[in-house]
Amino acid sequence: MSAYLISMATFVGFFMILALALNLQWGMTGMVNFGIAGFYALGAYTSGLLSVKLGWPVGITIAMSCVTGLIAGGLVALLSMRLREDYLAIVTLGFGEIVRLIALNEDQITEGPRGLKIDARPFADMFDRETYPLVYLALVAAAVAVVFVIVECIRRSPMGRTLRAIREDDVVAEVLGKNVLRHRVQVFALGGAFMGLAGALYAHYVQNISPEVFMPMVAIFIWMSVIVGGAGNNWGLLLGAGVVMTILEGSRFLGDFIDFLDAEQLSAIRIIVIGVLLIAILRVRPRGLIPEPKFSFAASSTEQGRQPSTENAK
Amino acid sequence: MNRKITRRSALITGGAIAAAGVFAPSIARAADPINVGSLTPNTGGGGPFGPKITSAHKRVVDLVNSEGGVLGTTINLFQENSETNPETAVRAADKLINVNKVVGILGTWSSSVTLGIMPKCQEAGVIQMCTSSSADIPVRDEKGYVFNFQALSPVWGRAIARLALRRGFKTFNLMALNNDFTRSMMDGFTEIVGKDKLLQDSFYYNGGQSSYRSEVTQLIEKNPEAVFIPSYVTDFTSVYKEIFRQGYEGQVITVSISTGEKFKEAIGDAANGIIHGLPVPPIKSPAYAEYVTETGLEPTDGVQHPFGTAGRDQMSVLLLAIEKAGSAEADKVSKAIWDVTTGDGKETVYNVTDGLKAIRAGKEINYSGASSSVEFDKEGMVLGRDFQLAEIKDGKDVVIERLEF
Repeated sequence: MSAYLISMATFVGFFMILALALNLQWGMTGMVNFGIAGFYALGAYTSGLLSVKLGWPVGITIAMSCVTGLIAGGLVALLSMRLREDYLAIVTLGFGEIVRLIALNEDQITEGPRGLKIDARPFADMFDRETYPLVYLALVAAAVAVVFVIVECIRRSPMGRTLRAIREDDVVAEVLGKNVLRHRVQVFALGGAFMGLAGALYAHYVQNISPEVFMPMVAIFIWMSVIVGGAGNNWGLLLGAGVVMTILEGSRFLGDFIDFLDAEQLSAIRIIVIGVLLIAILRVRPRGLIPEPKFSFAASSTEQGRQPSTENAK
Repeated sequence: MNRKITRRSALITGGAIAAAGVFAPSIARAADPINVGSLTPNTGGGGPFGPKITSAHKRVVDLVNSEGGVLGTTINLFQENSETNPETAVRAADKLINVNKVVGILGTWSSSVTLGIMPKCQEAGVIQMCTSSSADIPVRDEKGYVFNFQALSPVWGRAIARLALRRGFKTFNLMALNNDFTRSMMDGFTEIVGKDKLLQDSFYYNGGQSSYRSEVTQLIEKNPEAVFIPSYVTDFTSVYKEIFRQGYEGQVITVSISTGEKFKEAIGDAANGIIHGLPVPPIKSPAYAEYVTETGLEPTDGVQHPFGTAGRDQMSVLLLAIEKAGSAEADKVSKAIWDVTTGDGKETVYNVTDGLKAIRAGKEINYSGASSSVEFDKEGMVLGRDFQLAEIKDGKDVVIERLEF
């Protein structure tokens, strides 16, 4: 059981990094990104291919995944500089599909639908098989912590306030002399880098990636995490990612206790249960489990807006 | 909604949830029975087949348990849905391996799922039994824990090509769904008919599209006598509608997994004339006859439940091998799987009950199954399944030819 919990915690870690990145892009800056699976795939394939085909050490390949994610994020943001909201959503969704289809069709590079088997794992020689999952969990937890600190620093900084201003009304932000485009590109690129990092960590963890892993469904899970946790609030997301994974995976245990239904009915019921629980959470807490604190001048001068407020934001 | 959630209360709730997770399912690891996992595609691309595989698994386990189990202990079966998606399947396999402590994971169908969970299974020492056709499966199975109950897909392609040539077609065009299973099938087909019979280069199409108009136009542009389209039912339905709409008059050949009941319902009369083939159970085998009785199917000429029969064989073979090995350790069981399935001069058994009796009587057995005679090559891939070509007439499959091994 504990091995299973460790493994699930590791998966939650990947979700958390992706959710924090999405929160930076959408929760704070208002840039819709449905292409999460694409950035995730890009990171996974970059690190996987560099390590499998070129034999680079894992530490460097993971760093390269961040760089690839960074560049891709920046480019997508530049390409869609005039687009907002729904249009950006379409571009990013397209980007995600493009990455997946390239991975699927350029099989002389990516091994295509057969999937890429990755042997290299960070620090694999230093630990035995029993402790290694814990080591990997620690590694992922450290990555989550680093990403969290970065996004939380951004949120509390003057840049964070600018981003929120852009989210609420970019024209006003522009009028006030903020460089909206630069901020958008920066944020999208940084988010892309984090997603690339998550992808690389995922690839070396499961050790077998194929284009089918990176279906748009992954993006939906992350959106659920952000929405359930509370958009704009980084603490909320950590909780949201955990709750979503608990619902997704916890519902598996239904089958071990309910024996009067056959496997086919259980599969259907499990998916229904997932949907119902998510709807129930949002019905009870429409702004997420831990909503974004309302920003007020008093709070910002004393505690920089960390304390949740009872009033509704907006 | 005035109650506020602070970070502290959120942490407490989260902690409580985590703690509940740790303590609750300890029921699953009580006692010391033999645990077996079933991971089938109950939804998604394999949706038409998964439920039949997993219910076959359950029938065998129930039967064996009612007769006293294996090695004097009962068998616990844990059933999970792979959703035909490797991302989900990896986590489901994780649960089966680490929570349910299964000896083997049976019933994976899509190659990407079988390959996706392979690193975890190999590391944990878990036997895999699948009906996947990717030629990569034996290559990646470094420990000899994987047993495939399905012919590899180049074999499908070659068999369909031979049957098609016998029907006298002279020119072909090919397009395949872009996945490993269908791609290697196309290679097998080309190998037999020869490149010169193809009017143009074969190509792949990407699944999940709303329209396949340009692909179909390209496929039938030079008006070949026959087109071969290895596919899944999810995309073949749209592809075939488009072929029909564009008025192609040649022969459409595909794999039978694309032309099940749902396809025929969706297409109606327009489906008449499609030729399709797949590896099938040996229809004259006593094991197949038993399967038909067990499932309560009406016996017909055609083959039913090509994958369900494999499910019955997977579970039977695993349980026989555990009894034979006298242990549920992966290394011993995987060796015993050869002992109970492959080799001459042994007593042939057609079901798990007879097999267990024979093993307990100290006899050497060779299990012959409902999906094939279940003989493995040295890589754990099944040898020689029968192959059947059928034509849809009046909404029904009519068998036109069968290759028997």
